[in-house]
Amino acid sequence: MSLDRRSFIAGSAALAAPLVLPVQVFAQEKIVRFTLPQDFTRIYTFVTSEYNQGQRDYFTLVNDRGGVGGYKIVADITDHANDLPRAIEAYERGKREGAVLIDPLSTPVARALVPRALEDKINMITAYSGRSDAADGSAFPYVLPLSINYWTQAGLIIEQFKKTEKGSLKGKKIVFVHIDTPFGKEPLPILNVLAKKEGYELAAFPYTPPGNDQSAIWPQVRRARPDFVIFWGAGVGQTVALTEAIRNGLPMDRVSGSVWLSESDMDVVGREAAKGVMKVEPCVGGREPKVIKDILADVVGKGKGAGPENKVGTGYYNYGVQMATLMVEGVRKAAEKAPNGPVTGPWLNEGLRSITNFTADGLLPPTTITKDDHQGGGMGRIARWDGAKFVPITDWYSANQDVVWEEIRKNSEEFKKSGK
Amino acid sequence: MFYRRAGIRHTRYQDERQLFPLGFDRGLIIAVLAILLAAPFLFDRLYVSGYLLPWLIWTSAALGLNLLMGWSGQIHLGYGAVMGIGAYGSVHLVRLGVPLEIAMIAGGLLSATIGTMFGGAALRMKGIYLAMATLAMQYVVDFVISHSTVISGGSLATLQVPPVSFLGIPLQGEVPTYYLALGVCFVITLFMLNVRRTSFGRALAALREKDYAAQILGISTFRYKLLAFWVSSFIGGVVGSVLAVTYLRAISPDQFHIELSIQILAMIIVGGLGSVLGPFFGTALILFAPILLNNLLGFTAGKFGWSLPIDLRAHLPLMAYGALVIGFLLYEPLGLAKIYANFRNYLLVWPFRHAQR
Repeated sequence: MSLDRRSFIAGSAALAAPLVLPVQVFAQEKIVRFTLPQDFTRIYTFVTSEYNQGQRDYFTLVNDRGGVGGYKIVADITDHANDLPRAIEAYERGKREGAVLIDPLSTPVARALVPRALEDKINMITAYSGRSDAADGSAFPYVLPLSINYWTQAGLIIEQFKKTEKGSLKGKKIVFVHIDTPFGKEPLPILNVLAKKEGYELAAFPYTPPGNDQSAIWPQVRRARPDFVIFWGAGVGQTVALTEAIRNGLPMDRVSGSVWLSESDMDVVGREAAKGVMKVEPCVGGREPKVIKDILADVVGKGKGAGPENKVGTGYYNYGVQMATLMVEGVRKAAEKAPNGPVTGPWLNEGLRSITNFTADGLLPPTTITKDDHQGGGMGRIARWDGAKFVPITDWYSANQDVVWEEIRKNSEEFKKSGK
Repeated sequence: MFYRRAGIRHTRYQDERQLFPLGFDRGLIIAVLAILLAAPFLFDRLYVSGYLLPWLIWTSAALGLNLLMGWSGQIHLGYGAVMGIGAYGSVHLVRLGVPLEIAMIAGGLLSATIGTMFGGAALRMKGIYLAMATLAMQYVVDFVISHSTVISGGSLATLQVPPVSFLGIPLQGEVPTYYLALGVCFVITLFMLNVRRTSFGRALAALREKDYAAQILGISTFRYKLLAFWVSSFIGGVVGSVLAVTYLRAISPDQFHIELSIQILAMIIVGGLGSVLGPFFGTALILFAPILLNNLLGFTAGKFGWSLPIDLRAHLPLMAYGALVIGFLLYEPLGLAKIYANFRNYLLVWPFRHAQR
């Protein structure tokens, strides 16, 4: 196609348009800026939507009540689609605009941002994602999982199995069905060490990612006659795994997942059929906690909710609120220590790493973040699906932390050695 | 008017044969180069490490793939894996204490070796069948990397890049890393500009048009097909190691999956197959259109106080991006480089509308 005068002019105008758009100017008030580039469109999709909705609703609640320690929270949200160039651009943009905290909610993105966050002293939240060894605060001062990592979750599940068997797993068989990616294989070292310690037999069955067909694996699981089954995946693989487990007649009350199981998954599997399945709960689910009630009354009730009302109180929504309460608590602590700022990464870091025994009015297990422990104590609980909701079957507890921390230290030592 | 072609009389063969015979083109390129060289001092860090650095790296990779797909007409769907081999090879060497300069070349050689082995499929297969063979390479390499903990680096499958220096300059902060990427991109671009003037380049073009016709003319298809894979994979490996060292800084298997291969493929198709300028435009569009559209929508929504649901807010830019890519290809199927060529042709004879060829 050749170019005529009209399209030449139109094209030039279209090219020049972005250049003349004015640059956004922010009012200078006492604010703490968070940047939340997350994956809304590629892999984590609905998980991110619910998680992010919880975060925003909580920030609205805090800001409407006058902020925290004299500061208002500003959260910039973009979509990074799990794509590194987009995420790194968002990180750099956030940094330039003065963000002191980033929450990418993506393992690949978190991995690439670790060296940058450590260098730039920007607090990176890696809840349920990123490197598990970031729990070691001495190696990763600015990387804060603030939540139980996958190793701890595996340890909690094994402890619960042990309790079910009245204190001994000797001679029992535990099957671990997992997605065949680094994420899926992550708990294996812990499960192996515990197998030696507790005397159970471990059989691992990997399925190929993304896991939308697992029909070859589950009959083998059934034939293995397991006493317990742990399934490990995220997104589509989870619902397929559960469906196959049900189809193969495994006793659902002896099947457990990680934190990645929610009401939305149950709708796919069938609420009634999945009865009995267990998951790890890092915070209280449902609408009972005071914070969620407050959000329903003061944010959603007043029409300021960030998303559909029926998502409020679902598993991932509450994870979002959980992380948001921890971030805000970090700001409160930081403002206590140095009320006049200046608001920088190290300023917030001081606050985040001095959170002690924080429960957000009963939403979280008592969480204490120290300069060494960024996991927050490693407490969680097991909940069971009763056909309508997840009902906790244990109290908050922590288990096998010695094994977990051995693995954490082993990996963080390795990281330190690489000289960063 | 702009190009001032009137009165240019080449009196020596080398004048006629230079890469850019028109003074205006030379000036333009020098200006662009000068801006790129001064970029770390002119622009904010956001633009240097958020835009220019990935642009240079991805463009280098796209140029390497373009040699194979645009010049010699061999389809390759596993270029991400080729880059992955280079990245893993060189990072492992660097961790063992090998200097980066050597590790980069070694990574390239490793990619070239493995890439050529799979490229051997091209001797028997063409078109869509070759696409499948190279796709298989992608999956085989992914599998091998993520299943050997020795390669992928332990239970977390993340391999940290230790502090490195290039020619005695420590690669820390955005300025030296940017210059390394710029240098590599410059060398590759120069190579690509010249390759079409060599017998190698002409042999590749002959292969692309019809391989048995080329064989009849005395061009060894065996040799040149493998050579095309070798050179392209070598470039891919070197760029992979540059990507790892300057941009990712910690590599994990999922960074080199099929998504990367398809992304680079899209860059050269949108930019223009067989063009040197094309990958530069294609990369800019594929990498940055989603970001810019996202920011534009965010800005507009903020300005006018729209409260879009977050899902719509995240997906609208992607729809616009898809429409943009289709729109460009409908408008000019030969890619963005051809749109630029049309634009240039228009200005060449401006203010007249046509010139006699």
